[in-house]
Amino acid sequence: MIRALMIAALCALPLPALAHKVIASVFPSGSAIEGEVGFSNGAMAVGQEVQVFGPDGALLGRVLTDDDGFFLFTPTEPVAHRFRADLGAGHVANVTMEAAEVARILGTTPAAPAGDGTPAGDTGPTGAPASAAGFSAAQQAEIAQMLRDELRPLRREIAAYRERNDLQSILGGIGYIVGLFGLGFYLAARRRLKD
Amino acid sequence: MHIVDGALSNPVVIGGALFAVAGIARGLRSLELERIPVAGVLSASFFVASLIHVPIGPSSVHLILNGLAGLMLGWAAFPALFVGLLLQAVFFGFGGLTVLGVNTLNIALPAVLAWLLFGRLMARGSPLQGALWAGLGGATAIAGTTVMVALSLALTGDEFLTAAKLILVAHVPIMVIEALLTGFAVLLARKVKPELFDAAKGIRT
Repeated sequence: MIRALMIAALCALPLPALAHKVIASVFPSGSAIEGEVGFSNGAMAVGQEVQVFGPDGALLGRVLTDDDGFFLFTPTEPVAHRFRADLGAGHVANVTMEAAEVARILGTTPAAPAGDGTPAGDTGPTGAPASAAGFSAAQQAEIAQMLRDELRPLRREIAAYRERNDLQSILGGIGYIVGLFGLGFYLAARRRLKD
Repeated sequence: MHIVDGALSNPVVIGGALFAVAGIARGLRSLELERIPVAGVLSASFFVASLIHVPIGPSSVHLILNGLAGLMLGWAAFPALFVGLLLQAVFFGFGGLTVLGVNTLNIALPAVLAWLLFGRLMARGSPLQGALWAGLGGATAIAGTTVMVALSLALTGDEFLTAAKLILVAHVPIMVIEALLTGFAVLLARKVKPELFDAAKGIRT
């Protein structure tokens, strides 16, 4: 009876879900750096303070995440920016944006009216300036904004997908454990046989 | 429960690693040939348990099952849990390689503590009594781990009491669930495989 209950209890356990891991990413967003912070199980960090550090460890600023775990930071210096969010209980997110990328964001800002800006930062070099020439700066900004909005769910999905633990890695890990303890067993047994 | 890379200051990371190495050495010495398979099975259960999430409010916490490992293995829980943590870090990215020592210490030391407190009680009396003690041991191990995590963060600069309270409160449901799981597991083992507890009756040195 108790055994049956035990089996029932084990079967009723929730299915393996996503892990409790912090994910954070930053990407260029027009003249600012946009980033997101959250847990890999889909819960985003809301109203979370994100500290921004320079390469020398100096605090460049602080920002708060919005309701979707997104934050915006406008850089002023073309140096590497390190974003650090402490979500409590040992969950810390650290992401860095390289100096080159920050410089590109800063370079874009004054150059945008001239029409050679690539607001999305990493769109293809061909085509973008040519097609952008027909738009005003405001239109360009609007298009960039639209693109970002469209890409956001995709980006999040990719991040979540990357964090997924599939059966292969679980079984692989168990295999490693079996092998390791088997090896230990073998060594211990050999030592005993020698005695 | 897993502290990630970069959350702790260097002295805490190094200190944790040293203590963890000492614990693992101690555990390997007390791990007898006959108990290696038990250690392997518990290591594997620990490895998988962290994938089982219990949703609580907006967040969720995962099972840890360190209490069960400690109660069944004693000091040998150190190497068993270390292997589990190492593979979790490599395969799932939980925690990280630099903080492996601290995480091992945080999770294995309370497990050993639970065993020291409840190991003998668990092996005595009727299976049901043993299961009750084991349940208590399971909850104690989780509570101990939350305190250890809070302590590690406090040594790095967090406010200890706030952090401890926050983590402890978040893990109360896990404590209940793990107490039940540990209790049932020990009840089952006491009935079908009582010889597993022979070693636990006298505290081994």
